[in-house]
Amino acid sequence: MSVLEVRNLNVQYHTEQAICQAVRGVSFSVEKGEIAGIVGESGSGKSTAMRAVMGLLKSNARVTADEIRVSGESPRPGRNIAMIFQDSLSCLNPSVRIGRQIAETVRVREGCTWREAKKRALELLDLVGIRQPRIRMRQYPFELSGGMRQRVVSAIALACRPDLIIADEPTTALDAAVQAQILLLLRRIVRETGTSLLLVSHDLGVIASMCGSVYVMHSGEIVESGCAEDIFYAPREEYTRKLLESAAGKVPDMRRSRSKGRNRTNAGEDGNRNESADGRARTGEEKILVSLENVTREYDSHEGVRDISLTLEEGETYALVGESGSGKTTLARILSGILKPDGGSVLYRGREAAERERTGKIQMVFQDPAASLNPCLTAGQTLEEALRAADKSGEGRETIKKKSSHEKRQIWREKASVMLEQVGLSEEDMGKYPGSFSGGQRQRIAIARALINGPELLICDEALSSLDAVTGSRILELLLRFQRERGISILFISHDLHTVRQVSSRVGVLYGGRLVESGRTKEVCSDPWHPYTRQLLEAVPEADPVRARKIRASHVQEQDRGEKKAGRGCPFAGQCGYAMDCCFEETPGNYSFGGRMVSCFLYSQEHSGRRGEGYTMTSQI
Amino acid sequence: MLRYTWKRLLTGLLALFVLVCVTFFLVRLMPGSPFQRGAVSEQVVEAIEQEYGLDRPLTEQFAVYLGNLLRGDLGVSYEDPGTRVTDIIARTWPVTATLGILVLAAAILVGTALGILMAVSRRKAVREVISAGGMLAAGIPSFAAAILLLLVFSVRLKWFPASGLLSPAHYVLPVTALALYPTAVIARMTGNTLAAEMEKEYVLFARAKGLGTGRIIFTHALKNAWRPVLNYVGPASAYLLTGSFVVESIFTIPGMGREFVGSITNRDYTLIMGLTVFMGTVVILVNLITDLLGAYLDPASRRAYRRADR
Repeated sequence: MSVLEVRNLNVQYHTEQAICQAVRGVSFSVEKGEIAGIVGESGSGKSTAMRAVMGLLKSNARVTADEIRVSGESPRPGRNIAMIFQDSLSCLNPSVRIGRQIAETVRVREGCTWREAKKRALELLDLVGIRQPRIRMRQYPFELSGGMRQRVVSAIALACRPDLIIADEPTTALDAAVQAQILLLLRRIVRETGTSLLLVSHDLGVIASMCGSVYVMHSGEIVESGCAEDIFYAPREEYTRKLLESAAGKVPDMRRSRSKGRNRTNAGEDGNRNESADGRARTGEEKILVSLENVTREYDSHEGVRDISLTLEEGETYALVGESGSGKTTLARILSGILKPDGGSVLYRGREAAERERTGKIQMVFQDPAASLNPCLTAGQTLEEALRAADKSGEGRETIKKKSSHEKRQIWREKASVMLEQVGLSEEDMGKYPGSFSGGQRQRIAIARALINGPELLICDEALSSLDAVTGSRILELLLRFQRERGISILFISHDLHTVRQVSSRVGVLYGGRLVESGRTKEVCSDPWHPYTRQLLEAVPEADPVRARKIRASHVQEQDRGEKKAGRGCPFAGQCGYAMDCCFEETPGNYSFGGRMVSCFLYSQEHSGRRGEGYTMTSQI
Repeated sequence: MLRYTWKRLLTGLLALFVLVCVTFFLVRLMPGSPFQRGAVSEQVVEAIEQEYGLDRPLTEQFAVYLGNLLRGDLGVSYEDPGTRVTDIIARTWPVTATLGILVLAAAILVGTALGILMAVSRRKAVREVISAGGMLAAGIPSFAAAILLLLVFSVRLKWFPASGLLSPAHYVLPVTALALYPTAVIARMTGNTLAAEMEKEYVLFARAKGLGTGRIIFTHALKNAWRPVLNYVGPASAYLLTGSFVVESIFTIPGMGREFVGSITNRDYTLIMGLTVFMGTVVILVNLITDLLGAYLDPASRRAYRRADR
């Protein structure tokens, strides 16, 4: 008998303007002990359908179905069905200790005393792989890392002893390494407790690595269903094929290979920082747009960066990867001039520029366009505001200096509408507010806002992360087109290694606020030198069931957020299989070999032997 | 947390000092003398002023006052010689404080209950009535409410006594009159913030794990919803604990508010000063307590205080 049986599910939203059909006649089932998957872009109605099954939709949604049965009964949340949400930070109550949040679930389910519930909660925390559960019980959600919070959420779902767990994008907010650990955990839960799992995701890799049967959803309907092998190897529907293509990265390869000449200087077998920096500066002085030298910014509580040196060349795409909290965003903000570094220097075209001067030439696109666009300004106003700001700070003043403010406004309006058309929106969209655009369209506006003043460097801080695969790849194409036409540099910050591999010519890997490895993307991805890079690369699931099922996750325990930022030693030492004594005692320097840099003692002369002139470094791991 | 508290107490003392300075000199700027009455001759007034040291330079008077204040001596009332200011405070403050605490308790309990109803009631009528009633109650000034209540429940219906504070029944009307406004504000604030909290994902997750609405409200949503309300309750309680002149006068309650206004019309320098210092202390302490409570409700800032201690 199926654990979940849904037949002909329809969901309508009644809003003031219109009735919107979000889910149309969807049927699916999940067998006992099975992991089933639903895949589709955002807005395809996956989440709505799941919440309809749970009975969690708001009162303006009308749900009709011929049948919704969980083990032959109607679904009862917390009894026979439980759910894991995407964002563990917002679905745990910020002001209640996690021990209580688990124990109360047990109490409601079992009707037992607090003492018994607490005991059970400890067992559950142990089951989901959290060390020192007694300490964790007394902590608040914000004190745990993202991966640990998702484990807590899983523990709460398990506390319900459900027949079925619905996991709605459980790993989307996590980086690859932690994602692999959570996926393994979910799989272990299914094996050990015998509950079924319905996994909802936009990530084909995740679905491929976990699911036996797969449903493909598109604009409220299930377009294709079958076992994972059929869907991935022999898709019947056009839409499925398109999804698979975008996951496999069939975006036209538009990497710029300007940096080829840079490898000529075999700049030093030694890891002397200053020497190699000088070497780099000599070779491509005229091409270097921005360079950071030993930039440090320390924070008390959250992600900081320590001693980072990197250069960005004109027209290149440089990618920064690293887990959340590794300092990517801090680094981006230092580059853009929003933040000032505590130490080190930021050089723009070889000289130190004042922050105000720099911001006009460096623009940012943020992760969440819903949050980065002011909801009270229309698309047109947003763009005009950017123009006005540039006008004030003195850029482009030569051109429209003498015009009156009315004429100026006229010029701005025209510029704004041209820009909107260039990002694929129309002139009518000028007067609309961000609320009436979709996520992808909003990100287009954000890109238009960033590009309208003709910046030289565009920083995309996880600009695609909040979008689904198809929309994301369209936005990516747009970005790359602008880069080709205008020759701007892009700093691409992402935790998605697939995309990074497609778009960037060089890549830097951040861990714990340190740049642990950098070099040409092809080389770094095919032959990682730093142990962390390797762990990161191995953790990414591919959209291929047979290969992806071997989830390779390091079995190193996650740490507290606080534990990681020990002042001394390599930040990765605690989780590194190659760690030596010195890794805990002192910080490794930045060792450069040609175009590659790695910050690991395995590559230092002191620890792996002297090397003669002309020695070619290879991976030591 | 401890160090933070000490820091706040120190800044509070500083504020108190500024308050003493400002009131001391403002009081002396008032025209007329405390002892100027119709039939009293100039010589007598001067003699009495000399007796109290009011003929000396202001700075000297101020220094003497500060010295006494540090020893906890607030002086003797000019109007009622032989009664120490501290005695007057000791007599009137319990009355005012009892009233204030009752009002506060009523406002918080009723306000929160109404707020919860307003946020989660499925019936639109309930929500609308609470919302509109809140607006009305917040709009009536307390003296008007007091007179209205007196007229209806005491004069016409004769349910409650009109003046004094002899039995519990005496408390009903003044407490109601004073509580009307804070209750309405708390109800509306709680209603709005709670409704916003109920939209949040953790509430959805709590439903998904099988909790009932009551449990969700009381163990989850209310704690987060009350944080902004606390920012209102703090200053409001400071206001209530220092007494309301108008309502105390209408119901002839021997409280501090009445004493304070009386002291001003009498130019009773020492009493004005003493009451000001005392009320200032209460306000500063109440605000400190509110801040600490707010920190208790928000674990993130609680941890931040602890970190600052180190």
